[in-house]
Amino acid sequence: MDPMLTFLVILIGMYGLSTSKNIIKSVFSVTIIESGVILLFLNLGNWRGGSIPIINGAADIIADPLPQALMITTIVIGSTVTALALMLCIKVFHHYGTVEWREILRRGEGK
Amino acid sequence: MPDMLEITAYALQVLLIIMAIAIVTHKNTGTIIVLIAVFSLVTASLYVINKAPDVAIAEVAIGSAIIPLIYVISISRQREFIVLDKAMDDFIISDDAFTGVGYIFLKRFTDFYHLELNISNDVRLCSVGRGREQKLCEETNVDLIVSKDEETGKYLLKGKESNILMHKLKQMARDYDAIEVITFKDRDFGD
Amino acid sequence: MIRQGILIVMLLAIFAVFIVSLSDLDQLYQTSADYFREYGAEQTGSNNLVTAILLDYRLFDSLFEAGILLIAVSGIIWISKHDIEEKNARFMLDKFKTPDLFVTFSRLVYPLMLAFGFYIIVNGHVSPGGGFQGGAIVATAILILYYIDAEKETNIGMIVTVEKFLYLTILIIASLSIFTRGTFFTNVFPYDTHGGSNQAIYLVTLNILVGFKVALGLWAIFTAFLKEGR
Repeated sequence: MDPMLTFLVILIGMYGLSTSKNIIKSVFSVTIIESGVILLFLNLGNWRGGSIPIINGAADIIADPLPQALMITTIVIGSTVTALALMLCIKVFHHYGTVEWREILRRGEGK
Repeated sequence: MPDMLEITAYALQVLLIIMAIAIVTHKNTGTIIVLIAVFSLVTASLYVINKAPDVAIAEVAIGSAIIPLIYVISISRQREFIVLDKAMDDFIISDDAFTGVGYIFLKRFTDFYHLELNISNDVRLCSVGRGREQKLCEETNVDLIVSKDEETGKYLLKGKESNILMHKLKQMARDYDAIEVITFKDRDFGD
Repeated sequence: MIRQGILIVMLLAIFAVFIVSLSDLDQLYQTSADYFREYGAEQTGSNNLVTAILLDYRLFDSLFEAGILLIAVSGIIWISKHDIEEKNARFMLDKFKTPDLFVTFSRLVYPLMLAFGFYIIVNGHVSPGGGFQGGAIVATAILILYYIDAEKETNIGMIVTVEKFLYLTILIIASLSIFTRGTFFTNVFPYDTHGGSNQAIYLVTLNILVGFKVALGLWAIFTAFLKEGR
């Protein structure tokens, strides 16, 4: 397992977040970054190898359960945050008739 | 002989990077939703390889059904143009077929901007009074209200001023005598 | 084009910093694993150490996580709220219909998924699973109901009210340990070195409550979206 390859996923997400012209594509990029961060934490917790963190028998080395517990909450929270962002996006489209960042910012300044 | 699990993990991580690049650079949002669903499945299998079955169950349950659903709904909502037909005469529907002048005009407009025309004549929404039309436009999904002015015989198309599509509709309606486009002024949004 | 070049250079700089700091990161999550392996099962009564951390060691975190879920659901419902009474407006051009094969298959799968979700919730302390994961599976099973009957109507306010009361119940049960062990937010029952069946009662109860809370929250979210989409 290589944390460097995982970090590349986060960087790709950051690139998409910076270059996206569309609100929906920004939300897609946030989803990618989130997956990358979760994978990075699990990689770090599983550095020594070992078995899954469930005790039934004699396992000498286990993967660290602490980052896994944190990441479960991250997944549930991440889905609700995505839902909130998309609901705001629907409302923005209904108000402005477009979801392009540039167009919305221009109209917001002109007001 | 190298460990097969390790090779699988590397292959899946490379696949993940390729899919991330595809999601970021792809233009068609419909394809991206499918890619996002597959992306979450690949990450779930990587979680299992990283000895985290609990996280993988949560990812599969949420990432394969609920997340694509909310993306599909919010994207399909952005391709729609919802029209509320209060006129109830042959402006839009004549003889149970969509052949009215107004329908052809609106169809031309939505085809030009790659939108999907959705016409509703819901009784509950049509019964909303004239004074509350602006509120109706702001609070529900309706983009455009079609009604008939009894005195002049013109058809009034009403929408919000802030909506960029209304400006384009106004320009397009210049050629038609029987159509007048009215925009509501903005009120404070999100007070 | 120049902007994109600068952006890529900056991202590569972040990558370089990450590679340099990678040798320090490997010690981040290593020493705690041994402690959890040594004492985790007997202190909490849970074979699954992830559940042990979620519901015992770091219950405080989990409670606030459930609170954030509640706040996000309330936010979504507040944004999508309409003053004007609007149910599912019917469109003249709407020709959507679920295929019959799909409906039959969904009816077959729905009870199985519900049972699987409950299994995951209840067995959270001995096998992979727990409240959060099982709640998500139950919510997905409920989602199938909307494929079977697209016109189904749901009262979102009711769902959120039940969710709030469940959250209060979770808070009360989590703080019960002040009477038995003297600290907030841990297992009600004291250390049980042989077997630990008392502690399992507490874990299963809390798992079920958290599972239902998460399921109701996700249900409220996709109901709000489906209402918006029709």
